[in-house]
Order: sequence, then C-alpha cells, then structure tokens
Amino acid sequence: MIQLLFFFFIGAALLSSLLFLSRRGDPRAEGDSRVLLEARSALDALQGNLLPEQLVQRIFAKGDLDYVVSLAVPKPIRDLFVHERKKIALSWIGQVRCQISSLKRFHVSGARSYAQLGLRTELELACHFAALVVACRALRLAVYVGGPYVAPRMVGATAMAAARICTISEQSLAFLNPVQLKPFASSSLQS
Amino acid sequence: MDVEQARQDLCRRTLSDIQRPLDRLIYLASMRDYNTGVYHHDGLASRFTEEVACEALADCHREAFRELVICPLAELVSQLDAYRSSTHTSPREFLTAWGRLEPYRVAVPVQTDPLSAEFLFSNFKIALAVLESQLDSHPAGLTA
Repeated sequence: MIQLLFFFFIGAALLSSLLFLSRRGDPRAEGDSRVLLEARSALDALQGNLLPEQLVQRIFAKGDLDYVVSLAVPKPIRDLFVHERKKIALSWIGQVRCQISSLKRFHVSGARSYAQLGLRTELELACHFAALVVACRALRLAVYVGGPYVAPRMVGATAMAAARICTISEQSLAFLNPVQLKPFASSSLQS
Repeated sequence: MDVEQARQDLCRRTLSDIQRPLDRLIYLASMRDYNTGVYHHDGLASRFTEEVACEALADCHREAFRELVICPLAELVSQLDAYRSSTHTSPREFLTAWGRLEPYRVAVPVQTDPLSAEFLFSNFKIALAVLESQLDSHPAGLTA
C-alpha cells in the first residue's frame, strides 16, 4: 500500500511538471533572435520616442498648469487638465518601465550568447536595472497620489537612468546596426 | 538626396506661406489619401517623382507633428484659435464640431508613437475646453 502511494505521488508530480511545462507561455530558446529584435525595438522606442528631453520636459512642464490657472477657467477645466496630464505621465512611466523590462530580459537571458559583456559591465547594468525599476515604481506611486508635478527631480533622474541603460545596451546591440558598405565601384577600381 | 531637394522645394514654395505648425499639420494630412496612406502633390511629383514627392510630404508631416507635440499649451490654444479664425466658421460651431468629431485624430502621420499621439490629442482636448470656456465668459473675446 505504501509503495502504491509512493508511485502515485511520483506519477502525480511528473504529471503536474508536464502540465506546468506545457502551459508555460511562449517558451524561448537561449539565443532566440526574437529577444534580440525585442531589445532593439525597445531601445529604439526609448531613444526615439520616450526619452527625448523636449518631450519629457513638455509632459511634466508645470508652465502649462500655470497657464491654465492664470486663465481663471472653471474648476472642471483645471481638473480635466490635471487628469489628462496625470494619465499621460502614468502612461510614460509605464512605457519606460515596459521597454526597460524588455532590455533587462535581453541582458538576463541572451546577452552572453550575442555580446561580449564583461563582469563589471554586467554588474553595473544589474545595479542600473534594479535602481530604475525601483525609481519607476516610486515615481508611479508619487504621480498617482500627488499628480504629475509632484516629483520633477525624480522624473529627471528616471529619464537619466534609462538613458544610461540605453547607452550600455546600445553597445551590446551594435552588431545589429546595418554595416555601411563602401561604394562598390570604388572598391572594384582599387582591386 | 532627391527627397531632401523635394523637401526643400516644398518648404520654399508652399510651406513657407503656412506659418503655424497646426495649419501645416492639417494641410499635409489633407495631402494624404486615407485609403492608401500615400501623399499626393501634383506640382512636386511633376518636378521630382511620385515616390520622392510622397516621401518629402511625409517628412514634412512628421516634422510639423513633432513641432506641435512639443509646443506649450498656451501656444496650442493660440494656434487653434487662429486656425478656427482662418476657416471663417463661427467659434461655437467650430468648437462643437472639433469636440465631437475629433478631426485631429486623423491628422497625425502614420507610425507615430502612441504616447506622442495621445499627448497631442490630450492637449487638443484641453485647448478646446479652454477656448470653449473663454467663449462662454467673453463671447466676443475669441478672434473673429
């Protein structure tokens, strides 16, 4: 009877492991090119769309709030303004965090397969990622509770930390950039 | 190179007369076929090619969009009021139509990143509310 129970538990454990493995979503092999492409697209989104200084300054610009207040418009319009800016600010934080997570996945799962990262660089990156994730969470909470203008310095620090990660990641992904070939005609003339 | 020349040609001949980024955005969006997303400009296409003209128009459209996204709210309100005035529509009618139809949503270039687009839409929404409030408090205050 005890033997039967033992084999029953082993069978149940194996079955549940199989179920767990089969239900695991989107399994990716080490060195999967999708991780690389995802990281490249995250880097482009951060550098091209989310981190440009002018856009970040505009989203969190207190001057716009001062303008709305100076107009002495009815309270519902002031509330609409704050609500809209808060929505955009939270969306910015969420998207920065999402793209940073994508870069983190690339560094955690695939960097060794593609890039020659040193231990020091990896440690530096791990610290930057950890600090940025904490900063994003803190900023999100601050904006959610206090509105978009509550922590301008934190916004600047988050954007700078994200930019640092982009710079390091860019070096790891540099081999994906298209190679600038020399003009065919000139090289054939030389040979 | 051709695209850059076409872009300069477009800026010199046509866009230099359209000072405000909002007006440029709407003008350039109107040059785009909504069914295909391809821009058409007969004059530019005759001097260059259809493809080059399309690319130059798309470049200028993206540039107008970028300018508008980073302009302060006060400036957007002023541009919107000036644009409304240039259409010779009554302020009330214009604000009602823009508030309901949100035509600015179809005026953005393709492949615009969602956050920038949402930010601009949000600013338009606020600008319309500000203009409406100004119209309610000073009916003669908006530019005729």
